[in-house]
Amino acid sequence: MTHRRVGAILLCLLAAGPVSGCRERPRPERGASGIPPVPATTVPVDSATAARYARLEPGMLGAVQAMPVEGWAGPGARPFEVARRSAVLEAGHAREFGRVTLPIALRAGSAALSQYPCTSCHAGPRLVMGKERIRDAHNNIQPRHPEQAGAACSTCHAEENVETLALRGGGRATLDESYRLCAQCHFQQAKAWAGGAHGKRLDGWEGRRVVLACTDCHDPHRPALQPQIPFRAPQLHRTGSPRDE
Amino acid sequence: MSDDHTSEPSPSGDTGSLLQKPVDRRGALGMMLAGAVAGSQALGACSPLSGETPEEREVKVLAWREYIKGNYRFMTEEERAETIARLERLAKLRGGVDVAIQGTEAQPGVVFGYAFNISKCKGFRRCVEACINENNLDRRAATQYIRIFEMQDGEVNLDEADATFQHEVPAEGHFYLGTQCFQCADPPCVRVCPVGATWQEPDGITVIDYDWCIGCRYCMAACPYWARRFNWSEPEVPARDLNPNQHYLGNRARKTGVVEKCTFCIHRTRQGRLPACAEACPTGARVFGNLLDPDSEIRWVLANKRVFRLKEDLKTEPRFWYFTD
Repeated sequence: MTHRRVGAILLCLLAAGPVSGCRERPRPERGASGIPPVPATTVPVDSATAARYARLEPGMLGAVQAMPVEGWAGPGARPFEVARRSAVLEAGHAREFGRVTLPIALRAGSAALSQYPCTSCHAGPRLVMGKERIRDAHNNIQPRHPEQAGAACSTCHAEENVETLALRGGGRATLDESYRLCAQCHFQQAKAWAGGAHGKRLDGWEGRRVVLACTDCHDPHRPALQPQIPFRAPQLHRTGSPRDE
Repeated sequence: MSDDHTSEPSPSGDTGSLLQKPVDRRGALGMMLAGAVAGSQALGACSPLSGETPEEREVKVLAWREYIKGNYRFMTEEERAETIARLERLAKLRGGVDVAIQGTEAQPGVVFGYAFNISKCKGFRRCVEACINENNLDRRAATQYIRIFEMQDGEVNLDEADATFQHEVPAEGHFYLGTQCFQCADPPCVRVCPVGATWQEPDGITVIDYDWCIGCRYCMAACPYWARRFNWSEPEVPARDLNPNQHYLGNRARKTGVVEKCTFCIHRTRQGRLPACAEACPTGARVFGNLLDPDSEIRWVLANKRVFRLKEDLKTEPRFWYFTD
């Protein structure tokens, strides 16, 4: 909390004209909107999992932070966990999946936001979320979601605190709990995700089950995976048939 | 097999004493070869003209012992540890690389299964890339275990599909289907091997002892899924790209004239990790797990998704299913 406040103050001090509004406006306390703060502790791992992680490259999954997915059940009604996004995890993924162009830079996890909190700008009624603002401050965001219906920022982001997600029934979720928001429309994918047919499990097939959240792979503003040039084709020497080796 | 060949070779070991002991053919060969090597050692010691360094001599001894060892499947634990130690030392002496070869056994109560989502796969081939790096595949011959087929929508015939596509993917009107070794429950490749160099492990992985394979390629002809690869030349992996985490039955160094194939990354999966292809897949199309665990993800897929297998009519019982969203 202290770091975030210092960062916010620094950002505000450094900010020039466009965000000068930040300076005089006091920043609201996080959690003021009634959202319980996300527990920031690393989930203790059992010894078998710890031993497995120890074999991995440091910084890849060894420091993965996860939190239980409450109210959801995996195969066999077993509980499972979702990876919390942090600077460390993102660095790990950059190495693991880096060449796969997961939209890493766009994944703004709660931990990463400590360096650039939304609330340094979106802190009051003056800066309402509207489409016209995107072109100015968020020109890297090209909303393509949903394709057919016009969605505003506030379809998913809570008006009173942009760093939280607005659920349909008026509930709130943190950015690390994207699955709670996405599942409201994509219930079939959510079912498959909980069961293990959709999404990615981290590291191992046994022991503690830690999976990635929706926005770890999908850019929430443009969820479809983008086309790529594939890795090189096999050299089928003589006939071109897959039989030929 | 006799233990004699493992004892320190002595230049005085003559064939007279050899004939009096009941040894099998392989054991006798071992003793003679050890004697020959020791002889050349003695020669080298007294003649500086032979120009052989101690390392070269050690390589020779180790290579001889490797040459006369038995089938890994029937080795005692001790013999397995010895051959692994020799192979690690040879890798150090020959290639200057420190490799760690494991002989991890199958876990009880585990049979591996794989599911592949043809709705999700986009043909990026990141699995192929990860497989090459993980399994130390021959970079010069560009061996690949995994094939990704670009299929016309509605098509299920692999003969009509293109595995050599090289354009931006996914292509309109196509889906992608990956094949690799399916680790069949009744593997025809194992049945045809004339020397028993390939067999199925208790966790369902069909493995090859590369040092027992004679390269007849019967298994390649028998496999209905084109999963096996032959080394027409000495496999080359640059030392800086070598994965030192190896398994005797998996990604350790292969040689000319032997067959190799996907082992579901035996060195990873027997330690509870995912195969490299499943870990690298950016689309989440690959599901891997223990078929004997009713609460595993693979079992959930089999119970809740529409699944099929390739060429089921051949009754090879592949442990590799395809499913759609």
